[in-house]
Amino acid sequence: MISSSLRLFLTIGLTLYFLLIFSLLKRRTLSLKYTLLWIFGGFGMGILIIFPQILNWFIHIVGIKLASNGVFAIILFFVLIILIYITSIVSKQSDILKRLVQENALLEKRIREIEDKMDKESAPEDEKKE
Amino acid sequence: MKILIIIPVYNEGNNIEKVISRLKENAPYVDYIVVNDCSSDNTVSLCKKNGFHYISLPVNLGIGGGVQAGYLYALEHNYDIAIQMDGDGQHDAKYIEKVLKPILEDQADIVIGSRFLLKEGFQSSKLRRTGINFLSFLIKLCSGTRVKDVTSGFRAVNKKFIKIYSQEYPQDYPEPEAIIAGAFHGGRIREVPVVMHERESGSSSIHSWKIIYYMIKVSIAIFTYRLKF
Repeated sequence: MISSSLRLFLTIGLTLYFLLIFSLLKRRTLSLKYTLLWIFGGFGMGILIIFPQILNWFIHIVGIKLASNGVFAIILFFVLIILIYITSIVSKQSDILKRLVQENALLEKRIREIEDKMDKESAPEDEKKE
Repeated sequence: MKILIIIPVYNEGNNIEKVISRLKENAPYVDYIVVNDCSSDNTVSLCKKNGFHYISLPVNLGIGGGVQAGYLYALEHNYDIAIQMDGDGQHDAKYIEKVLKPILEDQADIVIGSRFLLKEGFQSSKLRRTGINFLSFLIKLCSGTRVKDVTSGFRAVNKKFIKIYSQEYPQDYPEPEAIIAGAFHGGRIREVPVVMHERESGSSSIHSWKIIYYMIKVSIAIFTYRLKF
């Protein structure tokens, strides 16, 4: 059975967790798109705290003896999922960045060539003026 | 036929002038583009001084990103064939005709200049050759394509693969993965014998312990390609 003191501490922890997430969201330091997974995870945790029977059922099936270990296992699994998700975001962003860098280099070459051309064209005119 | 040579360079100030002058001597009929991958030496100033055609990446992307920028350039300027060549003098411009031939005759989509077919010239160290053989075996196993010199950066591709590679090109140590990508996109891959030189100065991008990383990464890459299809 999950102890009432563990439930109390989990409730406090979860409240702080949501406070942090929503204050960061409000300050726009987190974008909602990438925070949804955290919020869903928090709700999942909340459900476990309100209905500890689910946790008991889970640890019984998996064969974990201590309820607290069950909580740790669930949290760890959840954190791993989020990390994989974040790695996928990083990969996608590095792809985008790479393409930007390449396009930037191609544009730089075009500008360089245009500038060279303009320099050549303007040079004789300057001489005429003199 | 518009042909472009892509020359990725990173800190090749000691080699670049020689590489370009040999290229102009041996293959005056091709265009070229030097892709400077944010070198910290005098590579760019040498390119500027000599009036070489170059693009310069504002941040270092690594060899894969550099080569891909070259393919993007080829696509943008509507080239029919693109040839990759290292900027360190390992690849001899004499052999450009040879790697071009199968593509011009429509015998292949991708042609790889291989130093192991004739076993002449620079052959690399024994450890590296073992690694290369293993990768070659893996590629054969998973894609059915037999390529001996899988790490050779001397290769030519036709228009179809200019487009494919400009969209998707592997990042670090890209050569074997690019072969797999080519095979899985239905490319006809051909190897032709070339003679390579030992690099004249600077150091190779693959050092001993990295070989292990390289092998594991390429093996996983082959596996994931296998999954996709």
